[in-house]
Amino acid sequence: MKQKRTLWTLLAILLVASLALAACGTPAETTEAPVVEEPAVVGDIDCTGVKAGDTLSMLYQWSGEEEAKLTAILAPWSEACGVTVTPESSRDQALLDTRVQAGTPPDVTFWNVTQLSQYKDKLVDMTTLGANAANYAGYWGEIGTVDGRWLGLPVKADVKTLIWYSPANFEAAGYTVPTTWEELDALVEKMAADGNVAWSMGMESGDATGWTGTDFIQDILLVTQGPDYVSKIISGEIPYNDAGVKEAYQIYGKWAMDPKYTVAGAEGTLSTGFNDAILKVFSDTPEAYMVKQSGFASGTLLGTYPDKVYGVDYDFFGVPGAQGLQGGSDWLMVFNDTPAVRSLIKYLSSDKGGQTWAEVGFDLTPNAAGNASYASAEAIKKAELLSGATGFTPDIGDSIPGGFGSAEFSGITDFVNGGDLDEILNTIAAAQADAMAQ
Amino acid sequence: MARATTVSVMKQGKAVPWLYLLPALIVMTIFILYPMFNTVGLSFGNADGSASAETTCREGQPCWGVFENYRYALTNELNLSNAQTTWESFWISSYGNMVKWLLVMVTGTVGIGLIFAVLVDRIKQEALAKAIIFMPMAISFVGAGVIWKFVYNYGTSQVQTGILNAILTGLGFEPVSWLSKIPLNTFMLIIVGIWMWTGFCMTLLSSAIKSIPEEIIEASRIDGATNFEIFSKIQVPIIAPTIVVVITTMVINVFKLFDIVYVMTGGNFGTNVIATRMYTEMYTNAQYGRGTAIAVILILFIVPFIVMNIRRFTKQEAMR
Repeated sequence: MKQKRTLWTLLAILLVASLALAACGTPAETTEAPVVEEPAVVGDIDCTGVKAGDTLSMLYQWSGEEEAKLTAILAPWSEACGVTVTPESSRDQALLDTRVQAGTPPDVTFWNVTQLSQYKDKLVDMTTLGANAANYAGYWGEIGTVDGRWLGLPVKADVKTLIWYSPANFEAAGYTVPTTWEELDALVEKMAADGNVAWSMGMESGDATGWTGTDFIQDILLVTQGPDYVSKIISGEIPYNDAGVKEAYQIYGKWAMDPKYTVAGAEGTLSTGFNDAILKVFSDTPEAYMVKQSGFASGTLLGTYPDKVYGVDYDFFGVPGAQGLQGGSDWLMVFNDTPAVRSLIKYLSSDKGGQTWAEVGFDLTPNAAGNASYASAEAIKKAELLSGATGFTPDIGDSIPGGFGSAEFSGITDFVNGGDLDEILNTIAAAQADAMAQ
Repeated sequence: MARATTVSVMKQGKAVPWLYLLPALIVMTIFILYPMFNTVGLSFGNADGSASAETTCREGQPCWGVFENYRYALTNELNLSNAQTTWESFWISSYGNMVKWLLVMVTGTVGIGLIFAVLVDRIKQEALAKAIIFMPMAISFVGAGVIWKFVYNYGTSQVQTGILNAILTGLGFEPVSWLSKIPLNTFMLIIVGIWMWTGFCMTLLSSAIKSIPEEIIEASRIDGATNFEIFSKIQVPIIAPTIVVVITTMVINVFKLFDIVYVMTGGNFGTNVIATRMYTEMYTNAQYGRGTAIAVILILFIVPFIVMNIRRFTKQEAMR
């Protein structure tokens, strides 16, 4: 009983004490005169005009690990300038559309390149905001410019136009990395003559079966026709049954359907999973010498063969002769011009911003200042390829809405399965025309 | 007094049943009737239902006006340039594949189910044998699809991990790419369907066979009937109503078939069926008008069989 009373007394004392402390604390804070800080340049970060406690609303599609990477990239800026970011994450584009139509868009959003033209009347010009164009290869400005205004800052990219190989296997067989398309073609023929299989081309991927094939077609088009041609297919100016596309299918088909050039011929191409196709090049008894695949291929092969070393057991080169790259990109676009937004744009397009993005390693940054800052040699090589490219095109299938993407996928599987090429291209072209009409 | 109560109950009778039905009717309206009418409505609209399907017509292309989505659903897979190409493209279209599925899978499941039902009726370990055949029903369709995908696996190296190709190469034959060879692949998928549904047919048919009075069988034996004669002239005619119900149920099942094709081939290599095509249009392509038009066509195909089943059911109820 006595013990209990002591406990209550103790609690009462603590309570009074804390109240007293709180009472002392509060007036001390309020009596302090509000200091309006106007930091100009903090370290390498330009915070001109930003008031402490400014907020910035942001909408993006990333979540989990990707979101954490973005937060890490923005941290130096938000700390230096004292901006509170209020982020929202959603993959639902309808959310963004609704906000924009309702006149309550977020200050900034990270979204896809197609939204630049969709919202062109609502976006703030990057030049007005003080973006540093010097850090970006020329083609980024072209892609980001709509009706003569530069409306989007490219922040993140990945590259698909890559061919993965094993330097050890190449050396053992006496092959060298080709630098032109002719050399690649000659190398494939040489491998075939040696009785070796050049390609591993598996395209099986559930209901998306065929995408490795259409990626390959687009890379061939970048070699034979160039990025403008690809852009015109996306805009509908060039129909999909054009002679140039047909030629690309024929080049692809020559390899993809013949067991002399690719693992198990047409049947192997159709029934091998795209991840298995990567592994076949790097297994102990490799079934092929090369696989054309996006940047994620190293992740796949290291998942199965964790001991493989970059530069020795696996490496990549850009598709030789490609006039530009194919890949995905994310863009920062601005709806409200505020000092906080300006400081964000300046930060991300600055040397410091590019370096931080690369250090954190969130895919690749189009900001060339980050090129040397990546943690891995592999990422540095990819970044150099990206900044040295002469053009950049999004995936054709992803860029045309409606039934085009699935028509393209089933078209290429039917083609490899022995279907009539003209008929297949006409079907895909019809889906393309359909999408343009809508 | 007693009489008066009865009358008052009878009077209440007109409104009260509806009252009891009301919760069910509300649920039916919200979850079945409304979506169905909405589906029909969407099937006459464009990709996102914002305008009439007529607006999706293009110059110089065939157009069925407001029925444009139905033109797409019925003819887009076909190559109509001449009779031969039409015929050839029909057989690898979703409709042609539906015909293959109906013919092979329905006869397969009902036929094999019937044979097993009769055979296991005579053995001691009947329960065990039935359980083994019924087991695949307990596996999810997606699971079965994945399992059979391994069975059919086509390895590119010397090692064949798929059991079917391992057997073939073991016997000195070339491995076969089971899932991409047209028209073999559709039949390989149908085998999976038969494997899954035979147990269901067998169970229903077996219980019907058990309900045949033993006296009839004994009498026919005394009259000198052989086993086959008992099967074909006594058992089958007696359980014919059940066989019809099983057939119509299987027909409906096959029309709705989706999982096996989606998991194993994704509808590629000419294995599309109506439901997988509907899914692609609806969710991959976001073409709501076209997707719902295919759905409506599917409903129209199924309705006669549902009517048949219900008629048969009410007839049986009336006999009781």
